[in-house]
Amino acid sequence: MADATVIKPDLDFVKGIIASGGESLKKCYQCATCSVVCNVTPDNKPFPRKEMVWAQWGLKEKFIGNPDVWLCHQCNDCTVYCPRGAKPGEVLGAIRKQSIQQYSAPGFMTRLVNNKKFVPILFLFPAVLFAIVLSAAGTFHIPGGEIVFSKFFSVHLIDPIFAAAFFFGIGVGILGITKFWRDMCQACRNDSIPSGVTTGDLKGSIIETIKEILSHNKFKDCVVSRDRYLAHFLVFYSFIALGITTALAVFYLYILKIESPYSLITPLKLIGNIGAIALFVGINLMVINRFKNAGKVGIGSYFDWLLIFIIYVIVVSGILSELTRLADIAGLAYPIYFIHLVFVFSLFLYLPYSKLAHLFYRTTAICYAKYSKRQ
Amino acid sequence: MVEEKRILVVGGGISGISAAVDAAEVGYDVTLIEKNPHLGGRVAQLNKYFPKLCPPNCGLEINFRRIKNNPRIKIYTLAEVEKISGSEGDFDVTVKLNPRYVNENCTACRACVEVCPIERPNEFNFGMDKTKAVYLPQDFAFPLRYVIDDKLCKKAECAKCVEACTYNAIDLNMKVQSLSLKVGSIVWATGWKPYDAAKIDNLGFGKYQNVITNMMLERLAAQNGPTNGKILRPSDGREVSRVAFVQCAGSRDENHLPYCSYVCCLASIKQASYIREQYPDAQVIIFYIDIRTPGRYEKVYLKAQKDEKIKFIKGKVAKIEEDPATKDLTVTAEDTLSAQKIHEKFDLVVLATGMAPTTREWKIPANVSYDVDGFITSSPEIGGMYAVGCALKPLDVYSSIQSSTAAALKAIQSLVRR
Repeated sequence: MADATVIKPDLDFVKGIIASGGESLKKCYQCATCSVVCNVTPDNKPFPRKEMVWAQWGLKEKFIGNPDVWLCHQCNDCTVYCPRGAKPGEVLGAIRKQSIQQYSAPGFMTRLVNNKKFVPILFLFPAVLFAIVLSAAGTFHIPGGEIVFSKFFSVHLIDPIFAAAFFFGIGVGILGITKFWRDMCQACRNDSIPSGVTTGDLKGSIIETIKEILSHNKFKDCVVSRDRYLAHFLVFYSFIALGITTALAVFYLYILKIESPYSLITPLKLIGNIGAIALFVGINLMVINRFKNAGKVGIGSYFDWLLIFIIYVIVVSGILSELTRLADIAGLAYPIYFIHLVFVFSLFLYLPYSKLAHLFYRTTAICYAKYSKRQ
Repeated sequence: MVEEKRILVVGGGISGISAAVDAAEVGYDVTLIEKNPHLGGRVAQLNKYFPKLCPPNCGLEINFRRIKNNPRIKIYTLAEVEKISGSEGDFDVTVKLNPRYVNENCTACRACVEVCPIERPNEFNFGMDKTKAVYLPQDFAFPLRYVIDDKLCKKAECAKCVEACTYNAIDLNMKVQSLSLKVGSIVWATGWKPYDAAKIDNLGFGKYQNVITNMMLERLAAQNGPTNGKILRPSDGREVSRVAFVQCAGSRDENHLPYCSYVCCLASIKQASYIREQYPDAQVIIFYIDIRTPGRYEKVYLKAQKDEKIKFIKGKVAKIEEDPATKDLTVTAEDTLSAQKIHEKFDLVVLATGMAPTTREWKIPANVSYDVDGFITSSPEIGGMYAVGCALKPLDVYSSIQSSTAAALKAIQSLVRR
């Protein structure tokens, strides 16, 4: 037994996966049905079968710099065909959460964001922060006259606060993916992770990755949950539309020097309102799809639902604050607007720690897979 | 002196026959009922037994002779249990006797078959050939007597067979009869059915002609089967050259049969061996999760591993695709030892389909308890009832017969224990 391998299981890692939606992990008996029915996995060292045994054995180091858990789109074809109810799709989702925790510094933030116990703190923090800021500005009350949100929470206060949260989130994400990329290159050199060459075409890979994401083609490879294509497509493009709206608002305010509220027929309002409607439809489809597959797949973990909840509150409060403003119901419009801002701020601040962090890590993993010619 | 109670054995496969013969040969009266028109059950459909690869008909013939020579055994074919009342030592059982339309005069001369104008799929060969509406259930049928399929026969409207029969053996006016039995104990030898492979939607059975089940292969390979023992692929009748076995097709799968069917690994190794014997150039790949060859059967596995044309790949097949032009099949699995997804082409794919207990769908008309999978539990609620063979759990023939001998003793105890 000179070449015996000593396995050093990390039991906390296993417990972490089991605690965050991967409770079925230990049922896997390695038949590899999952790797075969998956339409997005490569032929060489396919996922998710190998990830299942690594996770069962607590081989945490195998996941360092592993792009595969992020190449998984959680179609759940594997879960539906799994003969043991081991739910590889859900387990990989739980492993991704561990991966976010590992790469999005500081690590405790992911634990905080994804622990049910702390949910009041998550939203109380921005609410209290805003209350203090508004009290200091002397506008923490419902203003009289025509409803203009800026009278309550001045855009000149919103912009620095929200920009700080946004760039904090983006910054943490970029640091995370930098580390992730380094680990992937390292793992590839050590040959512990299946990849091809490391000297690929980076620029070409980035372009291919962007094309793939914009087209949403991978979602069409899912069989059981093909409906997710439309849901994710709507949510994705509504985020882009709302991002453009925000950029336009900055342009109107600081370049054109026009203060809100804007007419409903300006490009800014048109794009914003279409985005809001698309987001409302998309997020509802996501919820419906989850219940449709619940029988076999389960409805998902707290991690999944927290993000859905934040987006849901944002879109509903956003639409309602606009409607109540137009209907001139000040007593409702301002409080709803306040809630809206609390949740938008939360989305930005918790971006690298919530499920939304997938926009950093999955994009990077897809790009690395192309770069290293993983197939 | 009161009339001595009998033992009722329900099911005329190898388990039921064994229990009946064992009890009768120690001096107890036995009634054996079988719902098919012939005895022998699933074993009669097999080409060869493992591990010795001998034909099952010799074993069945010995038992049929023991039945014929023993006046204590009374047999009813086309018979089904309808009602049961009473308790251990004193059961009243009503049995429904379906009409055969052919009486004891039949000599199996085939004159009726020649004139019969109606064809039916032959379920003994899993629909791979046809018989006439009047047919001999199989070449080695016991009792050796024809039977008429009354779902298709036009009876008096046609009656050509009645005319053709020179022995006065056909009576198209036979009706369903009822039989009342007083028995002291009941042995349930209700057996199994191959799991319906069409329910495994990713393996293409029923969609692709050259995807067949392991039981179908037994019939293809059997001398008395639809191809007289030649293993020809269904789409074009070509002899096979590259065959895949898909283990655990439906078994060990909570979407189908959650348990291991116990015999399929050995059955596939057996089948691979006889394919190799018959076609020395043929290649066989057995795709498996774990090869399960309990006890001494390990030797069968070790022997097959030495054959360079039988390859074992650890990884379950979860996708089968057909080339519409050639009807060849591409099988996809992950070879888990090398972690490579492989796509291999075959001209025949055999699904090692598992065993579903007959009592999965059909329930005994008495308060018998079943496990979650539909097998009869080893201690049914009611005393005096004993399950044997594959009614109890998935078993090989050898272990089924052991369970039958054990149940025969218990059934006798139920008669004499006071």
